[in-house]
Amino acid sequence: MIILGNIIALHSYKGGTGKTHISINLAVSFAKHGKKVCLMDLDFRAPSLATFFSHEKVECWLNDYLNGACKIDKTLIDISHKINGEGKLFVVLANPSTEAIREMSAKDRKWEMRALGRLLALRNSLLNDKGFDYLIFDTSPGLQYSSINAIVSADLVIVAATFDRSDVEGTKRMLDELYDLFEKKTEIVMNRVLYDVSSKSGKNSLEKKIEDIYQTPVLGMIPCFCDVAKAEGAIIFVQEKPEHLFSKIMDEMSNKIERSNSV
Amino acid sequence: MTKQEVLGRKPLRVLEKIRENLEKLNEKMEIIIELQKRGRKGFQPLPDAPLDVMTLLSMPDHLRKTAMTVCRLGRATADEVSQQTHRARAVESGYLNQLVIMSHLKKERVGRKAYFYVEKENQG
Repeated sequence: MIILGNIIALHSYKGGTGKTHISINLAVSFAKHGKKVCLMDLDFRAPSLATFFSHEKVECWLNDYLNGACKIDKTLIDISHKINGEGKLFVVLANPSTEAIREMSAKDRKWEMRALGRLLALRNSLLNDKGFDYLIFDTSPGLQYSSINAIVSADLVIVAATFDRSDVEGTKRMLDELYDLFEKKTEIVMNRVLYDVSSKSGKNSLEKKIEDIYQTPVLGMIPCFCDVAKAEGAIIFVQEKPEHLFSKIMDEMSNKIERSNSV
Repeated sequence: MTKQEVLGRKPLRVLEKIRENLEKLNEKMEIIIELQKRGRKGFQPLPDAPLDVMTLLSMPDHLRKTAMTVCRLGRATADEVSQQTHRARAVESGYLNQLVIMSHLKKERVGRKAYFYVEKENQG
């Protein structure tokens, strides 16, 4: 059986490193380039995508699929009409209600194992059968069951990190003690870095510094943009501000992933 | 036969011996599995051990690789697992049998083939 698509998990050691923001913009960037993409919220402790796509009608949540209460088709929400481009973009949301969060945090090992089986099954049901090019998993930070399930199911793990000292140390540990153990292809996105974007040599030396720290390839470096902070997570930059440097960096990242898949 | 040819044969003979011993070890493990299945005295099956990600994380590297391959394939023979891991079939067979004894995997014979899988009830 030939598997054509790819599963990408966005993960981090600490919370607030920009995983969700990067996931959404990366998904939209792929879709704008003509790809069929599905963005899934696997952060069951603090679901975020439901806020971004609050106007969408939800038939079933990802929680329902993992509980075995519905098929994955029922969770897919087509939001392709909201993007400029020939691609397709779907989202699958996690239930943000307090009751659902409490219920998900009380799951036992057997349930988590069934959930892993269901995530692994998405490779057939979405990538092979429905022709999706990319599944993007937005995960919880740290060592959560749902995050590790997502990592195990993924082909590529993108680690969103910052230069915060505890984040650097924690990310290094996760690279050695989590991603490596599962033999996962891992790349770093350094978020909110301070560097002179107009200087190529400055960018190269910073990239070298990050690679030396983590011994892992750098997928992208995102400067600390006041515009992004001011937007308060309310807009999708790649869609609404395509000329912004943040959007261009996202496009570079999606192109880089696309190129590495076509080699 | 030259000295070099003789020396070249020795490592091959050692490897062949290792393979034979592995096969014997596998046969013994298969007997243990059968005895566990039948609940014979001294061979009581271990309690259910779900193959969740935390269990995978705590496993030694060689078993994790095998277990993850079965998770990915769903149901597989030792041959199919060895094709994915690029390790010898006899080696994979040993690891798979170990995982069965540890109650992480189930084993089922269909004709001459033995299939390994994560328990259906656990897979959902």
